[in-house]
Amino acid sequence: MIVLKNLTKKFDQFKAVDAVSLTIETGEFFGLLGLNGAGKTTTIGMLSTLLLPTQGEIFVDGELLTRKRTDLKRKISVITQEYSMRQDMNMNEIMEYQGRLYYMPKKEIRKKTEELLEFCGLIQDRKKTVRKLSGGMKRKLMVCRALLTDPEILLLDEPTAGMDAVSRRQMWNLLRQLNEKKLTILLTTHYMEEAESLCARVAMMSHGKIEEINTPKNFIDGLGQFAVDETTESKTMTHYFHTKEEALALAARTDASFHLRDTTLEDVFVERANKDEGR
Amino acid sequence: MGIITILWEKWVEFRRDFYKITLAAMIAPLMYLLVFGLGIQTMSHGKPYLHYLIPGVISLTTMNGSFNAIAQNLNVQRLYEKAFDQVMISPTPLWQFMIGQIIAGSFRGLYAGAIILLLVFPIHTGLIFNGFSFFVLFLNGAVFSALGVVVSFLARNHADVPRFSNYFIMPMAFLCNTFFSTENMPKGIRDAIGILPLSETSSIVRHIAYGEPWSPTGIFVLFLYLFCLAAIGLWFVYRKQNL
Repeated sequence: MIVLKNLTKKFDQFKAVDAVSLTIETGEFFGLLGLNGAGKTTTIGMLSTLLLPTQGEIFVDGELLTRKRTDLKRKISVITQEYSMRQDMNMNEIMEYQGRLYYMPKKEIRKKTEELLEFCGLIQDRKKTVRKLSGGMKRKLMVCRALLTDPEILLLDEPTAGMDAVSRRQMWNLLRQLNEKKLTILLTTHYMEEAESLCARVAMMSHGKIEEINTPKNFIDGLGQFAVDETTESKTMTHYFHTKEEALALAARTDASFHLRDTTLEDVFVERANKDEGR
Repeated sequence: MGIITILWEKWVEFRRDFYKITLAAMIAPLMYLLVFGLGIQTMSHGKPYLHYLIPGVISLTTMNGSFNAIAQNLNVQRLYEKAFDQVMISPTPLWQFMIGQIIAGSFRGLYAGAIILLLVFPIHTGLIFNGFSFFVLFLNGAVFSALGVVVSFLARNHADVPRFSNYFIMPMAFLCNTFFSTENMPKGIRDAIGILPLSETSSIVRHIAYGEPWSPTGIFVLFLYLFCLAAIGLWFVYRKQNL
C-alpha cells in the first residue's frame, strides 16, 4: 500500500505538487491524470526518491520512504518518462546492471533476461546498444528492466509514449496480467483510453493539486454516459446526456451533422481542462 | 555488494572504450614529456629536467584520468542519459555507489599513470617507483574521483564540468609541483599551492623516485581531502533536494 500524506514539492517559489494526499491499495491499478505541468511526474519523482518532498511524507506498506530505505526501494520499480538508460550499453548489459543493483544472483538475471526479452520481442536485438534502438524498443526494454526484479509496486510515468498502436496494446495486456498477480501499479498517462481501460481508480490533477479521485465509470457517469458531437462548418461541440433519449432529442433538433456515441474518460478530462482554463 | 556492481559497470565501460581511453590518457602527458623533457633539454636541481618532470607528469595524469573518468561520465548519466535515476531508485545503498565511483576512478587514474610509466621505461632514468608510489597515486586518484562526483552533482549543465576543469584542474596541473618547484615562489603563493592535493602527491612521488626520505604528512592531507570530498558527495546523494 502506498500512502501520500500532504505531499508538497516546491521549485523555488513554484509549487509543482501542492498538499497531495492519497492512498493506493495493494494490488490496485491507479491512474494519475492531468495536463502537462499538473504535477504527475514530480509526484512519481518523489515516489522514486529522486526528488525530496518539500513537505509531507510517503509511506510504503506503513513505513516512511526515504533515500536510505533500501528495503522499501527493493519493492519498487519505475519506468520513467525519459529513456533513463546508459546509451552505450547493450540490452544484456542494461539488464545485468539492473539485476546487480537489486542484488539478484547472476543465474537468475540471465534466465529472467532471456524470458523478458523474448516476451517483448527484443531477443534478437539483445546485443544492440541502447543508442541504436528505436523509441518503441527502448520503452519495451525499460519495461523488461523494471520487471526483472519482481517488484511489488510499479510506477509508470507515461510508459507507452512513443509506442505504436500494436505495441501499446501488447503493453496494456502485459500490465493487466501483472495487475492480476496483485502488483500495485501507479500510472501517469496522456492516453485517456489507456487509463480508462486499465485503471480501477484515477485521480485528476491540476496545478499540483488532486481535484478528484474516482473510478473511470463514475467520472463518466458524472458527465453523462452519452455524448453527441455536433459539427458545424467551423467547429465541433460535444453535449453530454445521462440518457440516450435526451441525446437523441438534441440530435433531432439540430441542423448540423451529429454523431451519437458513448462518453469516454477523455471527454471528462477535456471538459475539466476547459473549465479549468475558463476559471 | 553495490561497490562491485559499480566497479562492474565501470569495467564494462573501460572494456568497450579501451582504445579511446588509452589514447586519451597518453596524448597530453606524452606531449609534456616530449616538449619540456626531451625537446627543451635542461637541468633542474643538478639532474636532467626530465627526471624532475616524470613524477610530476605521472601525478597529474592520475589526477586528470580519475577526475575525467568520473565527473564527465556521471554528469552525462545524471543530466543527459538519466541513467543515474536507475541507481537512485535501486536498493543499492548510495554510499556504496559513491565508494564504487571513487575506487573505479582511482583505478582509471592509476591506469593512465601506468601507461606513462611504461612509455618512459626505456629511457632508463633510474627513478624509483615502488608500492608506496602507486599507493600515493591511487590515493591521489581517489581524491580527484571524489571531487569528480561532487562536481558532477554541482553541475547544472554539460558545459559546467569542462568549465570547472578549466578553473581548477588545469591550473593545478601546471602549478602543483609538477613542472617546476614552487620553492622560489612568494611564500603566500607557495603555501597555498603546497596544501593542494596534487602538490602533496607530486612531492611524495618525486621524493620516492629520487630515493629521498619523505614525510607521511602528505598522505594524511590526501586522506583529509578524500574524507571531506566523500562527505560532501554523500551529502549530495542523500540530502540534495532534486537529483
